[in-house]
Amino acid sequence: MKIATDDIRDILMRVDKPARYTGGEYGGAKCPENAPFYFCMAFPDLYEVGMSNLGIKIVAESFLRRGYAADYAFAPANDFGAELKKAGIPLYSLSLKKPLAEFDMIGFSVQFELCYTNILYMLDLAGIPLRRADRAGKRYPLIAIGGPCAVNPEPLADFVDLVFIGDGESADADVAGLYLECGGPTEQFFRRAAAIEGVYVPALMDVKYGKDGRICAFEGPTPRRAIVSDLDGAVFPSSQCVPNVESVFDRSIIEVMRGCYRGCRFCQAGFIYRPVRQRSVDTLTRQACSLIASTGYDEVSLNSLSTGDYPRLRELLRSLKGSLPDGVTLALPSLRVDSFDSDFAQDARKISLTFAPEAGSQRLRDVINKDITEEEILTAAESAFDIGYSAVKLYFMLGLPTETDDDLRAIRRIVDLIKSGYGRKPRAKGLRVSVSVSTFIPKPFTPFQWEKQADEAQAEAKQKVLRDCLYIKGVTLSWSDPFTSRLEGVLARGDRKLARVVERAYRLGCTFDGWNSLLKKDAWAQAFADCGVDPAIYTRERAEDELLPWEFIDIGITKQFFARERKRAYGGIVTGSCKAGCSGCGLQKVCPAAKGEA
Amino acid sequence: MIAMRYTKTDGAEFISHLDLLRHIYRTLRRAGIPVNYSGGFHKHPRIFLNNPLGTGIKSVAEYATVDTPFTGDFKERFNLFSPDGIKCADCAYVESNQNYANCITSCTYTAEGLAPFDPEEIMREKAIPLIDSRGRQIDIRPRIYAVEWQGDALKFTAGCGENNLRPDLFCAYLEERFGGSAKNITKVAAGAEGVKFI
Repeated sequence: MKIATDDIRDILMRVDKPARYTGGEYGGAKCPENAPFYFCMAFPDLYEVGMSNLGIKIVAESFLRRGYAADYAFAPANDFGAELKKAGIPLYSLSLKKPLAEFDMIGFSVQFELCYTNILYMLDLAGIPLRRADRAGKRYPLIAIGGPCAVNPEPLADFVDLVFIGDGESADADVAGLYLECGGPTEQFFRRAAAIEGVYVPALMDVKYGKDGRICAFEGPTPRRAIVSDLDGAVFPSSQCVPNVESVFDRSIIEVMRGCYRGCRFCQAGFIYRPVRQRSVDTLTRQACSLIASTGYDEVSLNSLSTGDYPRLRELLRSLKGSLPDGVTLALPSLRVDSFDSDFAQDARKISLTFAPEAGSQRLRDVINKDITEEEILTAAESAFDIGYSAVKLYFMLGLPTETDDDLRAIRRIVDLIKSGYGRKPRAKGLRVSVSVSTFIPKPFTPFQWEKQADEAQAEAKQKVLRDCLYIKGVTLSWSDPFTSRLEGVLARGDRKLARVVERAYRLGCTFDGWNSLLKKDAWAQAFADCGVDPAIYTRERAEDELLPWEFIDIGITKQFFARERKRAYGGIVTGSCKAGCSGCGLQKVCPAAKGEA
Repeated sequence: MIAMRYTKTDGAEFISHLDLLRHIYRTLRRAGIPVNYSGGFHKHPRIFLNNPLGTGIKSVAEYATVDTPFTGDFKERFNLFSPDGIKCADCAYVESNQNYANCITSCTYTAEGLAPFDPEEIMREKAIPLIDSRGRQIDIRPRIYAVEWQGDALKFTAGCGENNLRPDLFCAYLEERFGGSAKNITKVAAGAEGVKFI
């Protein structure tokens, strides 16, 4: 079945940005005719968000290279979703226009917790039963999830057949091969899939709870995170489709490195993407040139968790500038202040620069292992001002372990110092400073995974401290909504019992929870109440000897390392970068830096 | 400079005006057709489109001027690299920006699916008051220049620019008055004064 644009023309005329739903993107993947396996790469957020994501393009490419079909689907905005439902038209894929239910596998890329209801929204629009149990024995696609949230997939465990943990370059498509070999989703298929590195089969995992309501045992095969050892030779799409509608990051993206040397203790990405693997200057140059030629973009973004740590950055920039056509700008979105160099920033439009000190006081920065000093922040800011920047954006967190009001007030000191640094020389424009403070969420697989998360009242009190001390001319302060942060924390730290709550919230109309204007707080509160689940049990402090809901996953980093890092945090001891010396996180055998190859 | 007539069909009719400009710019970049930039702080490529077409309305008569030193086969090169539905139909070298956004004063459309009626009935009207999509009271009669049947399809010419009349609004009026359901509304020609290429 194919949903032709002409069949839904009337609907398209009524909705916002209809080009999101018509397909026909330039450079879109050409699927093989009558492919042996049909994979739908689903993204549970809007087209313009998903189209900016590099990961889904890599995963889709890994299927295409093996001769399988791979197409995309995004969450339709509520207007289009409601029209589809009313007209009885199932959610369809972007270029093949094939109803999702007709695919062999739908893989959701789960980037953050507040899109969980959107997964259900998309399944529902596709006419696919939400729960695995309701699909059993019937012909439905395999429902899979992957991406960063897959490191704690438990709140989604009842909805999905498969979870891909870690790098998606090979495991996802391996499963397709196995599926064909087993002749479909047989018992044998699931048993053998669970043995593939990076694959978790929730149905095979039995979670036992004790009388106190806490987990007392996991029974099932231990899933291990998939780690691509050769990033340089890994699958990468040499051309990418150009979205019909302007996407949030409308430019070519290359991935310079995966992983981060720094080990900031609050940062989940800093641990779950370890070890650091790099692409070579030659490979990156080739990929950038190919993307620019095939897309027509005039900007290349050099992505990684900390691009300034790429050891051959200067060489890379020189190579890119020498090889790319004139007028192509380079964007370095993740520069740390201690790696900020005015040479790197010269190229971009000199408007606003973003730094992330994360905490106001040196003491607290040491606690979180954010290995930068006040002086480094100021030096970076001043060298940015000297080359023409007149606005800085500063990212901080509140609610960090051991934080006091004095630590929060220290943010004011940084702002003052930056302002006086700007005033030291005559400048053409006035300085604009925006301070953005988000609420710290203790995420799984970080040294802070056991910490209590600040509750709404505490977060609000801390925000008030900040509002009081940062009410200054030329400074804008923004903060995250305490309810949203708490919900994100609950879902991030949740277990299987939350599936009911997520489903109930969806039934009560919750979708696009990450969009402030669309979040239905009352409905979420009711969902928790209806299911008799107290969210506070998920944001409480966990004991180090307690079994955590995500602990059955072998992420590659030992629990002892996290506990050791936590202890050091409380002692205010900086561990520093992996480049400065290996701290033995457990990945030494596969880590180039640990082997001295960085 | 090059002036071109191009299409907006095969799904591309749902692309908004701003996105369309980006697509044309990227097509030119992919094709290796250099575009001159404006001076000034925020440089932008000198590509000039005609007035925006309502999203969802097809067209085989969109016009643009591209400021380029390119002298090769523009049409072939453009079409090799353009998205489906955005295809150059004809082009010409011109001395200056044709300024289609100002010069085009009327557009001719065709629409299928409307119930038969006598076009004279419309042309005889002194006024046709309507509420437009923004809730404003307008008289569309002065903006209707010609109406005729071409087989089963209605062909009509309406104002563009200052006297703009959205073809879908007019069709909705005709549906209400005479019945039927307009399909495939397509812009087939543009009327302009003082341009070299149309």
